[in-house]
Amino acid sequence: MQFCYFHLMPYTGSAETVQDWPVANKIFDPEKGRELYNTYLDNMVSAEELGFDWVGCNEHHMSPFGMMANPNIIGASIIQRTKDIKIAMVGALVPLLNPIRIAEEYAMLDVLSGGRLIAGLLRGIPHEYVAYNMPPSESHARLSEAIDLIVKCWTEPEPFGWEGEFYQYRAISIWPRPIQKPHPRILMSGSNEASAIHAAEKHAMLGIVSAPTMPRTKELIDLYKKTAREHGWKPTKDDILIGMTCSVADDFETAKQQLSDGRAFFARVLGGGLRTAQQLVMHKTRYFDDTARGKFVDASKQAKISVDDLLDAGNVLCGTPEMVVEQIKKQHAILGHGVTNINMKVGDIPNEAISYGMKLFSEQVLPEVRGL
Amino acid sequence: MAFEQKTAVLPAGEVTYHVAGDGAPLLYLHGGGGVVMTKPLTRLAESRRVYIPVTPGFEGTSALDGVANVQDLAGLWAAFVDTVMDEDKTDVMGFSFGGLVAAWMAAKHPNKVDQLVLAAPGGFTPKGATKLSDDPKKRLAQMYRHPENLPDGKAPADRMARSREAMARYRPNFDRDEDLVARLGDIEALTLVLLGTEDGVTPAEVGHLLRREMQHVHFVYVYDAAHALEIDQPDRVGLILTDFLERGEGFLVNWGSEPAEAAPATR
Repeated sequence: MQFCYFHLMPYTGSAETVQDWPVANKIFDPEKGRELYNTYLDNMVSAEELGFDWVGCNEHHMSPFGMMANPNIIGASIIQRTKDIKIAMVGALVPLLNPIRIAEEYAMLDVLSGGRLIAGLLRGIPHEYVAYNMPPSESHARLSEAIDLIVKCWTEPEPFGWEGEFYQYRAISIWPRPIQKPHPRILMSGSNEASAIHAAEKHAMLGIVSAPTMPRTKELIDLYKKTAREHGWKPTKDDILIGMTCSVADDFETAKQQLSDGRAFFARVLGGGLRTAQQLVMHKTRYFDDTARGKFVDASKQAKISVDDLLDAGNVLCGTPEMVVEQIKKQHAILGHGVTNINMKVGDIPNEAISYGMKLFSEQVLPEVRGL
Repeated sequence: MAFEQKTAVLPAGEVTYHVAGDGAPLLYLHGGGGVVMTKPLTRLAESRRVYIPVTPGFEGTSALDGVANVQDLAGLWAAFVDTVMDEDKTDVMGFSFGGLVAAWMAAKHPNKVDQLVLAAPGGFTPKGATKLSDDPKKRLAQMYRHPENLPDGKAPADRMARSREAMARYRPNFDRDEDLVARLGDIEALTLVLLGTEDGVTPAEVGHLLRREMQHVHFVYVYDAAHALEIDQPDRVGLILTDFLERGEGFLVNWGSEPAEAAPATR
């Protein structure tokens, strides 16, 4: 089992409750932001020494819940301070962006890192479409065409042009080319049926970081595997990434309280604008088809789920190191995945607690679950 | 713009051709399935004079003695440019089998060819790289990504069978034309190579080869198109054809929203 240390880089410099979208940046204190960026970077870099296999960056816009508007900038900074840990972009929100630019920047990261990039090519969560004024109904089609174009950018031996539905480029030859052959591994999100199928069709890794229940996650994994077989390939466990929030402490009550407080802060402070925009996109556009919309647990519903609910559902890692070991084993027994994405910085959980939790995870959890 | 069918007498014999439109000339060499009046062609005929000669032996016409291979065909159409089109030189576009003939025209009769478009050209596929399936359903998928765009939604089986017989005269096998490959570097015409991203007949290696070996060439993928790219993506193909034929190398540059006529003459 491999483990990705993932960080959202939330802005915790204000406790103001905001429901508007976008969240007004007048509450952002740049000096505080600077302090947070550097603390978070130190934390993410420490993942290598602590034995994590990947470190994960992500892209979010116009909200305090994530300060990584461009994950590649953070990824580049981490590359300079690490040697072996994989740099997972989880990842570029492809339909919002220029695919040539994604191909170029990812190639830069791959070359700079000596071939350590995991290339997340994601559709994005609903509210991001408001941020970048992209039609949510085009998200799947844009993602599909862009991925094909990005792979061509990485692999074509001669300059070429592209005449597509959404993208038209008459002459392309990106500099640099990536180190990894044929190209960096692609990771796609698969939190609903259409996305799971899409990931299989593109021979990509499947990432599920926000599925509501274990049975639902298993359902999506099975669909991914079935679709892959129909397209002539067989995913291994290392092609499947499951995301978990994780709170590890010396005792269960501390771990649980920490996580509860962090989730409460997220719901109250960080997630207001997200919920507003998410509702708009979900109910006023065709970002989801009817099936996916019916099964999606939006941010409003997620805010009402308690840590106890998550523990009962087996959908969280929370407790002492021994408890977390058992939770990971149980999840693996059900899902058969090969990569677990660990998100410890939930809301405003103190950074010292995060560092201590990482230490406990490194010393007492990793050795027990590596072999899964 | 409706095409008119005519006949003409060339030194090698009588040929049938279709013609429509007014303006700068374009010679279009059809594929191995015969003449298909695609949307890009009818659109081009709104601003150009488009000639589509019928390869002797196709569409019920007679084969001509002395025109027995693709190089002979190239010579036949060079004479067509002189005699019928009454032009010193013309833009030439060839699809599939027609692309092979067009490339030979550019190689052997360079003074007749202005700009060249090779759409999914035949004759360059490495041996064994692809093979048209014997299964009709699989063959349809190799040829068409959007067969619903075909008239009546299907390729007429009898037309394809007759065409295969006719093409066997000029291409008894589908090996790569090594003589032409050896001469690719001699072709001086500014060339646009188009390939569908889902082409099940002409592999991407053909685009790579032409891009590598030709002097003045641009290679463009047409997304979500199989071999019959004019049928699968008529708007996309029409747009890039018009832009390339109108602006030459200037087609690389996004002209923006102003009318194309306002673009500086780049040819």
